[in-house]
Amino acid sequence: MNWLRHFFRTPEAVAGALILALLAAMALAAPLLFPGDPQAIAGPALLPPFQDWSLPLGTDRLGRDVLAELFHGARTSLAVGLAAAAAALLIGAVVGTLAGFAGGLIDEALMRITDAFQTVPSFLLALAFVSIVGPSLGVVVAAITLGAWTGPARVARAEVLSIRERDYVAGARVIGMHPLEIAFREVLPNALPPVLALSSVIVAAAILTEAALSFLGLGDPNRVTWGGMISEGRTVLRTAPFLSIVPGVALVLTVLGVYLAGEGVVESTAVRRSLS
Amino acid sequence: MSEFTISRRGLLAGSALLLASTALPTIGFAQTPKKGGRLVLAADSEPRNLNPAIVASNGVFFISSKIVETLAEASFDGKDGLQPRLALSWEGAADGLSVTFRLRDGVKWHDGKPFTAADVAFSALQIWKPLQNLGRTVFKDLEAVDTPDDLTAIFKFAKPTPFQLIRNALPALSSVVPKHLYEVGKIEENPANNAPVGTGPFKFAEYKAGQYYRLTKNDAYWGKDEPYLDEIVYQVLPDRTSAAAALEAEEIQLAAFSAVPLADLDRISKVPGLKVITKGYEGLTYQLVVEINHRRKELADLKVRQAIAHAIDKDFVVKTVFLGYAATATGPVPKNDPQFYTADVPTYPFDVAKANALLDEAGYKRADDGKRFALKLLPAPYFNETKQFGDYLRQALAAIGIDAEIVNNDSAAHIKAVYTDHAFDLAVGPPVFRGDPAISTTILVQSGIPDGVPFSNQGGYKNAELDALIVKASETLDTSARTELYKEFQKKVAADLPLINVAEWSFISVARDRVGNIANNPRWAVSNWADTYLAG
Repeated sequence: MNWLRHFFRTPEAVAGALILALLAAMALAAPLLFPGDPQAIAGPALLPPFQDWSLPLGTDRLGRDVLAELFHGARTSLAVGLAAAAAALLIGAVVGTLAGFAGGLIDEALMRITDAFQTVPSFLLALAFVSIVGPSLGVVVAAITLGAWTGPARVARAEVLSIRERDYVAGARVIGMHPLEIAFREVLPNALPPVLALSSVIVAAAILTEAALSFLGLGDPNRVTWGGMISEGRTVLRTAPFLSIVPGVALVLTVLGVYLAGEGVVESTAVRRSLS
Repeated sequence: MSEFTISRRGLLAGSALLLASTALPTIGFAQTPKKGGRLVLAADSEPRNLNPAIVASNGVFFISSKIVETLAEASFDGKDGLQPRLALSWEGAADGLSVTFRLRDGVKWHDGKPFTAADVAFSALQIWKPLQNLGRTVFKDLEAVDTPDDLTAIFKFAKPTPFQLIRNALPALSSVVPKHLYEVGKIEENPANNAPVGTGPFKFAEYKAGQYYRLTKNDAYWGKDEPYLDEIVYQVLPDRTSAAAALEAEEIQLAAFSAVPLADLDRISKVPGLKVITKGYEGLTYQLVVEINHRRKELADLKVRQAIAHAIDKDFVVKTVFLGYAATATGPVPKNDPQFYTADVPTYPFDVAKANALLDEAGYKRADDGKRFALKLLPAPYFNETKQFGDYLRQALAAIGIDAEIVNNDSAAHIKAVYTDHAFDLAVGPPVFRGDPAISTTILVQSGIPDGVPFSNQGGYKNAELDALIVKASETLDTSARTELYKEFQKKVAADLPLINVAEWSFISVARDRVGNIANNPRWAVSNWADTYLAG
């Protein structure tokens, strides 16, 4: 509770939380407000926004409802962002804990692999992966995860290195716990908070990467994505700029919201720590 | 064809210009050709092999047709739709076993050597027949080329070959390259493939990857006073939105091949100093086609194919995907073809209820979730329009209970998936009609084509009756009998639907008013531009 109060004391955090709540509401409400296929043709093509109140944000080049696409696109963006971040944190935490706790050769090997992944720009990695395997939602999530797990792995390893010398770890060793059990039951939970602090950055980056992939035509073509909407709108940028602007603004707000909320979390935990 | 030539927009733009011309007496259409100047235009792709004798495709012609000439070019008013280039006349023997070309005198290659019948014989036998993508079918029975003198080339065929087909193939398939440069070494690896040497009005000057191609005037060109331009520069602008901006900024003077997106044309036609031209592509008609994999048992059923044909609203496609710059199709020959087209074929008006009834009849009832069956749809990635039509088709199929999953690939992967691996159920393809069904159209239906041949029947369709008809037409020498056979072919294809023809479209040019003699033949963008000029 204390933590929540700290969290809501900063205006950025409140703004971020509001945006995220709105986004989550959009994503959850999409199938209720816009049942059926959001890519169905709903009206005349290239209808500008605010002309017809049954299609408030207008229609795209094929006459699909931009508002419906925007809502369903929020689902894809959030799903990809959360799934990729969860997968990256999981892999990163496991790899980091193993490396930090085991030390020696295992540490060397795992960290060199991490280095190898880190030296390749994560977007290029995602691009190459999707173009080889073929675009679908799962593949896109995997591709983003591929470039995002290294950060959490390094942070987790650093934390584990300091924790594994603590007394309670030595105690666990003495009572004969299996090293893996110590690593994942005693060490990892304590190493987790700073790793989780990375989540906001990863979610934001994942949403942007997904949008960029869709923009390049490497998103799942059977789903509405904001990046895909921007990409389609780009061909008519001069005549119907709203087709790119509407999803573009949604994208900016989302990333901003995730980032602000993440900052809020970090700030409030920092306050809590300094208080204790 | 009216859909391609006259649009309300064009008329409006034209009348606006007329008004403007009264205000500014120096601007007008009746300009006299002026010598000199550099024409800068947009190029959206960078072909590496620029030899049109090997790669007969529009991307290559766009640049190399100014350098390497063909025996004849397409024409709006010439006899049989042709005008002479390197050949002055052509005559087919009654038995279909030979064609005699009389060649132009006094023509020189860019390196100064004289052009002779030996160059034609070499190009035909060593390149068109064995190596060229399209020549392989048309010249398959070419046995020898006799050259009794330097200005006569007599093509000898092993089997009777219709003269009409050879004639129709001349503009695209008969690029002549110099024998003296190609007879040494492997033809495919000849350096002249990247820096072509020809007889055309322009010489190849330089190519900077990712930047531009530059051609300079050939002072020794055979055409009197031609060419008018000093230089042609192809500015590489792969991004389609940048071509329109470059035109408006006067960085380029011409954007051909619809480099300006269709959706931008309405706006750009109102920009003073720019004109939108829909003519000059009549000989390069693209067809929007749904390719069908007949190995799928549902799609092997004619009723299902008919249902799909009824589910597609062709008028919507023309109006929305092509913004009116296209025509609906009835069959495998486009409406704007003057020789072969017939409207007398079975048609499939847009009728969702009928489509649903046909599917019910075929035994594919809707399941509880409203879906009958699922299939994979691969839209070709080459054009925005093919991709958009893919999105539309998915919706149209959803309306009749077919759940289509779109699979996007890049060009290479798409060609492999459809034409080699057959990993598709439906594909959206843009085949080109090249003036004669035997050049690149019958191949879309014919059976027995080896795996991996792109833009051919790779859907496993086999119809003995149609195969026999195709063979018969390829051996029929009499022009009117041959034409009748192709009309029969159109009827049978429309009835049995080995593929579904949806629309036919061509390209649009946007140019500054200063550019003269645009679109004066049916393959203008890929012709030699000897008479194109820049007014002052």
